Amino acid sequence: MLSALWAQIIDLSLFIVLLRFTTPILLSALGGLIADVAGVINIGLEGLMLISAFSAIAVGSVTDSWVLGMVAGVASSMLVCYGMGFFSLKLKVDMIITGFAVNIFGSGVTIFLMNKIFGVTGNYSPSAIHNIPVVHIPVIESIPVLGKLLSGHSLMTWIAFLSVLICVFILYKTPYGVHLRSVGEAPQAAKSLGISVHRIQFSALAWSGLFTGLAGAYLSMGMTSMFVKDMTAGTGFLALAVVLLGNRNPIGILFGSLIFGLASAIATVVQTIPGSKVPSQFIQMIPYLVTIVALIFFAIRKKRKLNDALRAQTERSKIAAA
Amino acid sequence: MNTKQAIYLEITGIIVAAVLAILCGFIVIMFSSEQPMEAISSFLGGPLSGAFNIGTILNKAVPLIFTGLALSVVFQCGVFSMGAEGQLYVGAFVGSLVAVYVHGLPAWILLPLVLLCAMAGGALYGAVPGWLKTKWDANEIVTTLMLNFVAILTTSYLVNNVFKDSASGGYARMHYVADGTKLGKIFAGFPAHYGVLIALLAAVVVYLFMYKTRSGYEMRLVGKNSRFANYGGISTKRVVIVSVMISGALAGLAGIVEILGVHGTYKDNFSSGLGFDGIIIALLARNHPIGVVAVSLFYAYLQVGATQMQVGSDVPRELAIIIQVMLVLFVSSQAIFTYLKQKSALRQKAVN
Repeated sequence: MLSALWAQIIDLSLFIVLLRFTTPILLSALGGLIADVAGVINIGLEGLMLISAFSAIAVGSVTDSWVLGMVAGVASSMLVCYGMGFFSLKLKVDMIITGFAVNIFGSGVTIFLMNKIFGVTGNYSPSAIHNIPVVHIPVIESIPVLGKLLSGHSLMTWIAFLSVLICVFILYKTPYGVHLRSVGEAPQAAKSLGISVHRIQFSALAWSGLFTGLAGAYLSMGMTSMFVKDMTAGTGFLALAVVLLGNRNPIGILFGSLIFGLASAIATVVQTIPGSKVPSQFIQMIPYLVTIVALIFFAIRKKRKLNDALRAQTERSKIAAA
Repeated sequence: MNTKQAIYLEITGIIVAAVLAILCGFIVIMFSSEQPMEAISSFLGGPLSGAFNIGTILNKAVPLIFTGLALSVVFQCGVFSMGAEGQLYVGAFVGSLVAVYVHGLPAWILLPLVLLCAMAGGALYGAVPGWLKTKWDANEIVTTLMLNFVAILTTSYLVNNVFKDSASGGYARMHYVADGTKLGKIFAGFPAHYGVLIALLAAVVVYLFMYKTRSGYEMRLVGKNSRFANYGGISTKRVVIVSVMISGALAGLAGIVEILGVHGTYKDNFSSGLGFDGIIIALLARNHPIGVVAVSLFYAYLQVGATQMQVGSDVPRELAIIIQVMLVLFVSSQAIFTYLKQKSALRQKAVN
């Protein structure tokens, strides 16, 4: 079994699977990041992805256009995010509760609509669908290793990695990014400087919807060509864990997503190896276990840092007292 | 404003929110159905037509009462656990193992033993995220969510491979539990089983524990202000661990009572989200045990109504989920309640 896994590493198919799994986690984690930076933690990523995945493939299959499908996915996800903003910012519902509600809503409303519109209950797979295209780079494609590394990935994979840069730019290079961060750090102070806290938080939620919408559209129109009920299967929760681990930093989010993408990729590759002795349930568990371990690791590190800082402070006060 | 008035306003607010949520459901029906009147009448009237449906409501409310209580305990202690689903599976699994494989004990010993083992299983599984939180401050929302997946997959492996009843064919289930441990019907010809009484008893016990004992008081204090509690000499960590273990034990009870009362055997994936429904119920009940019972009944009524509607019209039963979500949002919206309170205060001023 290990030799088969090794073979897949050598011929780079593990790398390709890794990118496929990283793409949705990365995009929705970036969505979670922007909301988190502005102080509105969005735990509804899972539900948003489901809603977007369904709208994307529904519109995509009816209009026969992947662009319209993707736009519909993003629009529906952003719309729900505005709804979240309405309830949590205007009606003062706890943000965690709103996110939780969105997760249940996403699961229920997609099954409801699938049933009402297409008359099916478990999954909807249109007979023909134009998926989000795969990017083939002309010259590089034919170079042995480089071709496989750079060419033949979904357009959405490129968008995902580009989005990391976009997030870095928004957060650290624009006045808007300063507003976002200040609202998240100290809303009262931001308010006193004349920043409209609600407006910034609404816009952060909209960004959240945009990125999560892209992630959802990729699930139904990139990774697969169908919608299956609850097809996210915890991807949104993995993304949420990445948000918490990523230290409020797009680069941290990128690395976190790659770790979870790798865990999922290994799970799939091991599962498809013929004659594998490991029960499938334990392989499916890998990403969730990795999340727990990573969270503990992160928490220990944070605690140690905090303790160091405290110790340094007491040292300083001792010196000052002396 | 005295306490009685405050409770009265709170209940008024919750009823207003429930009516708003159901109205939202009706709007969806109007837009999506070709026979909206049939859909609405079978949704509202169906659950109360006949003893069978009423019994079904009671049976459906039983696991919801347990998970609702489970989450109300940890929520009151300020821990936002999402882990009842996983604890429910572990508890049900451990309890079922005892119910299936322990022989030679009289039923009046075996049944309590089964329930206790299920509670212990759920409590120990609940202790894991609690320990991670108190020891390293690991975010409990994420750990409990992830541990749900771990519990569901592990039990699924075990019931598919190790403890599968060879006579079950393609079904992944254990052997049927011993006859004496099954929870029978309370009255002949009425589907409600004895789990209803256990659930009510649990609600009373949790109420007494949370509001009449020192430990319960400490938990509520930690939930309100953990720093103050710590300052007042309460060991916050111990209180948190105890609360997640009680919560896990109640979730385990939810699982085993469902197995003993409804299925008669441990089935793979039998829960389909009971643990998550418990979160909604605890939120709607404002974490109050008596409220949990009332809300669970209402929630079960919605579910039975949705099934009746699916049979009697062209509206899928997932409509109930949409109503549930609106319920959660309206009931949690502080703005509505503040508005009601302000209005009542103004009215009082006018009277005086």
